[in-house]
Amino acid sequence: MNKTRFERGSAGHIRIHVLPTNRFKTFAISLFAGIPLHEDTVTTTALTPFVLRRGTESHPETIEFKEQLEHLYGAGFGFDVYKRGDYQIVQFRMDTINDSFVKSEESMLEKTISFLGEVVTKPVTENGAFRHSYVATEKETVRQKLESIINDKIRYAAERCIEEMFKNDPYRLHPLGQRKELEGISSELLYVAYQQWLQQASLDLYVVGDTTLAEVQELVETKFNLNRSTTPDYARVVNDVTAREVQTVEEVLDVNQGKLNLGLRTPITYGDDRYAAALLYNGILGSYPHSKLFINVREKESLAYYASSRFDGHKGIMTIQSGIEMENYTKALDIIKAQLESMRSGEISELEMSQTKAMIRNSLLEIGDSAFEMIAYDFNRVLSNKDRPAEELLNQVERVTPEDVVAVAGEFHLDTIYFLTGKREV
Amino acid sequence: MEVIKYDALQESLYHETMENGLQVYVLPKPGFQKTYATFSTKYGSTDNHFQVEGEEEVSVPDGIAHFLEHKMFEEPEGDVFAKFASQGASANAFTSFDQTVYLFSATENIPANLETLIDFVQNPYFTDQNVEKEKGIIGQEIGMYRDNPDWRVYFGLIEAMYELHPVHIDIAGTVESIATITKETLYTCYNSFYHPSNMLLFVVGGVDAEEVFELVRKNQSSKKYTPQGAIKRLFQQEPTKVHEKLREIKLPVSLPKCLFGFKDKQIGLTGEALIRRDLTTKLALDLLFGSSTKLYQKLYDMDLISDSFGHEYNSDPNYGFSAIGGDTKDPDALLKIITEEVKAMTASGFKEEDFERTRKKKIGGYLRMLNSPENIAHEFTKYRFRGGDLFSILAIYESLTLEEVNARLRDHIDWEQLAVSLVVSP
Repeated sequence: MNKTRFERGSAGHIRIHVLPTNRFKTFAISLFAGIPLHEDTVTTTALTPFVLRRGTESHPETIEFKEQLEHLYGAGFGFDVYKRGDYQIVQFRMDTINDSFVKSEESMLEKTISFLGEVVTKPVTENGAFRHSYVATEKETVRQKLESIINDKIRYAAERCIEEMFKNDPYRLHPLGQRKELEGISSELLYVAYQQWLQQASLDLYVVGDTTLAEVQELVETKFNLNRSTTPDYARVVNDVTAREVQTVEEVLDVNQGKLNLGLRTPITYGDDRYAAALLYNGILGSYPHSKLFINVREKESLAYYASSRFDGHKGIMTIQSGIEMENYTKALDIIKAQLESMRSGEISELEMSQTKAMIRNSLLEIGDSAFEMIAYDFNRVLSNKDRPAEELLNQVERVTPEDVVAVAGEFHLDTIYFLTGKREV
Repeated sequence: MEVIKYDALQESLYHETMENGLQVYVLPKPGFQKTYATFSTKYGSTDNHFQVEGEEEVSVPDGIAHFLEHKMFEEPEGDVFAKFASQGASANAFTSFDQTVYLFSATENIPANLETLIDFVQNPYFTDQNVEKEKGIIGQEIGMYRDNPDWRVYFGLIEAMYELHPVHIDIAGTVESIATITKETLYTCYNSFYHPSNMLLFVVGGVDAEEVFELVRKNQSSKKYTPQGAIKRLFQQEPTKVHEKLREIKLPVSLPKCLFGFKDKQIGLTGEALIRRDLTTKLALDLLFGSSTKLYQKLYDMDLISDSFGHEYNSDPNYGFSAIGGDTKDPDALLKIITEEVKAMTASGFKEEDFERTRKKKIGGYLRMLNSPENIAHEFTKYRFRGGDLFSILAIYESLTLEEVNARLRDHIDWEQLAVSLVVSP
């Protein structure tokens, strides 16, 4: 396995992680900005990158702002806002062609970091606030995005299930914020919130490509206009998993297919020593075509096209999802519950263990072939304060025994059953 | 074995035609952990009426190519996914209009996984019972897509444009059409389209080309194939004009979805001429509707489009059409402004400077695409089946002229050829 060791440093209270390599045709760059997920800041934080992408001091008009990227051979630029554990993360991502493939006088990396630095730290302002018209349009954009969640029923059901699971926890919040808050956000208020965010967020900049730590550090020093006094660390998630009665939620919408989603809680998170065993548990249960859910719900009973599980080690939750005929609700739920029970009672074959280990091994080994995958894996380390390189996790996975998996199975507690169903014929 | 060197891209491609006609391509990626392999047949959802030289003419049920893809994974000794899992490979397959692709991705046991891939696709096993069972699963897959407004608005557009060409038929068919599929019809399709001379194996990643060829040679020479004549695909004469101007579907959505496009009048291009037209059209569409254009910004600022607004062009020797649009609160207003602005642009033509900048962006996007082994394998096969070469694209981009793009703009944007598809809430 290729050892992927990021070189680390910092500049302007931004942690910098650089992986020098010439294996790719591009420079891959990510800036992660994370703050604790909180009702008071979730909406302004979500709205901020939307406004930042409209224009900078040097290129205030959106069209010229975007043309810069085209001059950089159509450099990829985008951002995402999501939840990881108890944090709301804004990730800016850039992907620029390496100089050796194009004819450019200036260094492509320099231009790219310069662009990113301007976007994040030198937005266009008017009278000490964001440009009013940009804030107005982007509020509308975020509002529409929040409203459009319902269009994709698979995603809608997944998010509704989480919302029901975390009714009294900030984790119920959508990473794009709260629709009702948008209205009251003025460009002045947003600008103040942005400045606080920039001061307080944990900032991590990653670069993978044909460069060095020293070069990146120097570029960040000159291209990011920051006035920070600390480099905050992420705090580990502390999970309250007091077992409680399983809640069942049914929601009616105009749909052809029913969506059955289950949410489970676990105290086992990314930093836990049992994390590898939890990966095996999730894999055997439902993340592959050889897993129990796929075999029993789909292949044996033809009840569904998809039936799978997903483990989120940052928050300590597992979700199960399947799309079924509405009248098959009870049958499908019984089969899914039977799989959870069979895991707890130790019905785990040697073959299931070896197949699942082989699949996890493959996905860990594949990380090294993608710059953004390497960045994502390494960022887990930052986020959870757990330094565990992929090769170490791989060794831990190899050592997991069926007994370990059974022990872990007892730590996953069914919490919520959510069913999205169509209008019943009367 | 022949070697094709692409110096500008720093890639070397190895090729050999097996005695039975199978095309094999290997693209070694030194330093990559992963190997990605696709085994593809030039057979998709549109091949529903055909004749193999020396045999009878056949018409088959809608959705059968996709159904066949599902059924290939079943072998007398069990499910192929389990075998791949034991060998640490992640396997999958997909069916499009004109091809069916089986694939795996793995970091270990590459020879065993390659053999598994080739052998399972070359060993059909259909029984009355396993065919019946699959109808429930695919029925749920169809149900899932019926609830997906993006899929519905896209197919609505193709249905509006095409009356007779099978491109307008949903790839998975309908619950009614798949009900008529039997193991006999599956074998007929299999025997017609899965002959090695209609197939292509592409292997990309950390492999040695000669080792791959040696394995494939041995594997193929152990199997008996009698030469097969040419496959004639029979299409009814599709009228030049669009089938319907407007198609509207009712589905609950947060905002209406509006997709429009132009149906090409001239068809019949193949090979490099087809690719050239494809690239020229995409460039023209980007110059009209790309996110850095004045039109895009105007529509965005008027709140008539959102980030979901996009454009694409799809072509084949037998059809060609664009699809442009996204979510909008007012489809009529959107189309009105677009019509006015695009008419003005068609009259004046594009500017040299905008053309150059957009060309640069397209070249960058193409080079970035080559970072992904998955994309290389898919795109290479798609182009090869149409008689072209993925790796010639850089040279084609460099040779395009503004006059050519302007001419193509005027040819493609023909308002008589416009069709509109809407999804609106009931």
